Amino acid sequence: MHTKIFRTISMLILLMVMFVSLLGCAPAATEAPKPAEPTKPAEPTKAPEKPAEPTKAAEQPAAKPFEGVELTLASMTDQYVTAFRYLIPIFKQETGIDITLDELGYVDLYQKLTADFVGKTAQYDLMTVDIVWSGEYAKNQYTLPLDDFMARDKDQLQLDDIMPVSWTLGEWEGKHWAYPLAGYANVLNYRKDVLEEAGIKPPATQEELLEAAKKLTKPDGSMYGIALLGAKGPAVAQDYMAWVQQHGGSILDKDGKVAINTPQNVEILKFFGELFKYAPPGATDYWWDQRETAFRDGQVAMMEGWSIARAGYENPEISKIVGKVDITVAPVSKGMEPKYGFGGWGIGINAASDPKKQEAAWEFIKWLTSPEIQKEWIRHDGAPIRRSTLEDPELNKEYPWFPVLLKSFEKGDGDYRPRIPEYSIIQDALGTYVNAYLVGQETAESALEKAQAQVEANMK
Amino acid sequence: MNKSIALSIRRFFIEDGAYLVMLAPLLIFVVLVAIYPLLFSFRISLFEYRLTDPNQTQTFVGLQNFVRAFSDQVVISSLKTTLVYVAGTVSLELLLGLGLALLLGAETQIARVIRSFLLMPMALPPLVVGLVWKALYNADFGVIPYYLKLAGFNVGRGPLAELNLAMPAVILIDVWQWTPLLMVIFLAGLKSLPTEPYEAAIVDGASRWQSFFYITLPLLKPTFLIALLLRTMQSFKVFDTIYATTGGGPGSQTTVLNFHIYTVGMTFFQMGYAAALANILLVVVAILSILYIMVLERQQL
Repeated sequence: MHTKIFRTISMLILLMVMFVSLLGCAPAATEAPKPAEPTKPAEPTKAPEKPAEPTKAAEQPAAKPFEGVELTLASMTDQYVTAFRYLIPIFKQETGIDITLDELGYVDLYQKLTADFVGKTAQYDLMTVDIVWSGEYAKNQYTLPLDDFMARDKDQLQLDDIMPVSWTLGEWEGKHWAYPLAGYANVLNYRKDVLEEAGIKPPATQEELLEAAKKLTKPDGSMYGIALLGAKGPAVAQDYMAWVQQHGGSILDKDGKVAINTPQNVEILKFFGELFKYAPPGATDYWWDQRETAFRDGQVAMMEGWSIARAGYENPEISKIVGKVDITVAPVSKGMEPKYGFGGWGIGINAASDPKKQEAAWEFIKWLTSPEIQKEWIRHDGAPIRRSTLEDPELNKEYPWFPVLLKSFEKGDGDYRPRIPEYSIIQDALGTYVNAYLVGQETAESALEKAQAQVEANMK
Repeated sequence: MNKSIALSIRRFFIEDGAYLVMLAPLLIFVVLVAIYPLLFSFRISLFEYRLTDPNQTQTFVGLQNFVRAFSDQVVISSLKTTLVYVAGTVSLELLLGLGLALLLGAETQIARVIRSFLLMPMALPPLVVGLVWKALYNADFGVIPYYLKLAGFNVGRGPLAELNLAMPAVILIDVWQWTPLLMVIFLAGLKSLPTEPYEAAIVDGASRWQSFFYITLPLLKPTFLIALLLRTMQSFKVFDTIYATTGGGPGSQTTVLNFHIYTVGMTFFQMGYAAALANILLVVVAILSILYIMVLERQQL
């Protein structure tokens, strides 16, 4: 009898140990590569060939105060990473500062940076900072406020030239926690040929957009009106927030409190759901990359998305729609004062880095965002932040869609995704329940109510 | 003479405590990789602890995290989802694994070739498997919906995005990947069975079905227990497949408990609450395992 009890007990302990060791593997798995990038795929788009020469400064044997300093840059694998690959060696030639580029996908980047900041290990001296992380980074003081540097070097920076909306890439409550790096405008891409054939003008309002999507969808499934992001998680959350912005709604109320379940947002959700009727049937499972594929594959007539992907449609290696695409500003609801969704990336300096490295990192930011280098940045798939770049006649010839970007930037709204420290909680709740509405698990009202409840439960 | 040597060995190992020294490396290892993290996770489950807090403050809140867990709708529904997933994967895999083992148990050339091919899914990381299946399932570009459409089925939003198809679809992925493992376990079990009972059965005039039901199955019981326990535990902690394919969607249709823990821990960085949820998962699995053992032991006696 005793041996039996003993056996049961020891079995139990063994089991616990076994299970814990098995379970112990789970956290490691979470750091594995993530399935898709929350910002469009990173296929290098081909920019017009134009070998850049090192800027003039390199020719004078100027003093190189930072010779031999080694920095590490953690970069999101967005299109602009190609520009980093190209520009970093040139920067080394000019200054002697050696930068190691670490390319990471969205989720990986966020988690690695968080671990680095919390542990104060200063593994990364420079990092690309998503616009929506601004509030969180500021609150936790992860990155170095750049205001002292900016005040000191304001003569070299041409701050007035940077588009006002670009500052939302890292500014939080009056201080700059990241410097503008790559500004994206939410634009409407459409197929010139398909719209012309159907006799439809590019939609200027949301109502026209819905009407056009309806007309352009062919019943045999050979053409759909619009491509949307429907996959559970950041994808559907961000697309819904874009539509909330375009209908003049808001995720936050006037006092900055989270107010998701307003009657207006419910109406917008219904509109968003209506659009899905004219999207490919798989769209409720689309991440950024699948939406791009659907559009590049020629299955879809219209698509709203970040402007940085635009150049890729002209690359025959990845696109079947070369020469057939045009863009216009993202349509807003009828009668609404136009405002356009703005997003993108800033570049920040680790607050825990060595001061000498921080100085060198600031040198890099200054150099990279200077007007002349910005041209090369654009030509290697970077994205603009400066007015002078957007108005540059040469670049306008190479990228005929720049006037649309300028217009979008001028009335850009960088806050339609609340940049507050709790952003990830809002995104997760919307990501679950908007998707649940789209697949018919919830009604529009109950979906937003549950999202609101989940946000409140997690924000305590 | 012999007896005194045996006695002194006995004294050396048991009374002088030498066994402790010899066990020490293993014990230290177990304490480091299992007991310490377990106690640590239990400790922080009693605290309010946000990983991203720059001051790293930990506030003691007692059992509040556990109370919160049981009033959290997401936790309750994800527990249910997990049970469905475990039941679906484990039962299908046991049945198919046993069937395949019986089918391919013969030592013929062709069985050997098929067996080695069947082992391939196991060699792939679950995340890669998930991504491949996600592409196969895609409603607009995927291979599976393409043929389904050709055959005249309406695939709608695709298997992973339809409410009632998502769970079967992810279960199928798990079955595809892990049935071979069970086949191997059952093969080993079958090979180790004694031949005498079968010979006796033939003499007694038993049919093949009878010898399968009355000899093979009862004798395979220990193998069954191992297979069942192993897969139940693995299935309970499923994360990668879900993460790579549905992300818990559509809606929250495939949000298993471990995925929810991941969200709380690695998206909200609420370590205290996440630890509390992980401990609940641990207890659930421990209880289930004890039940299995008790049931199977009783049958054996």
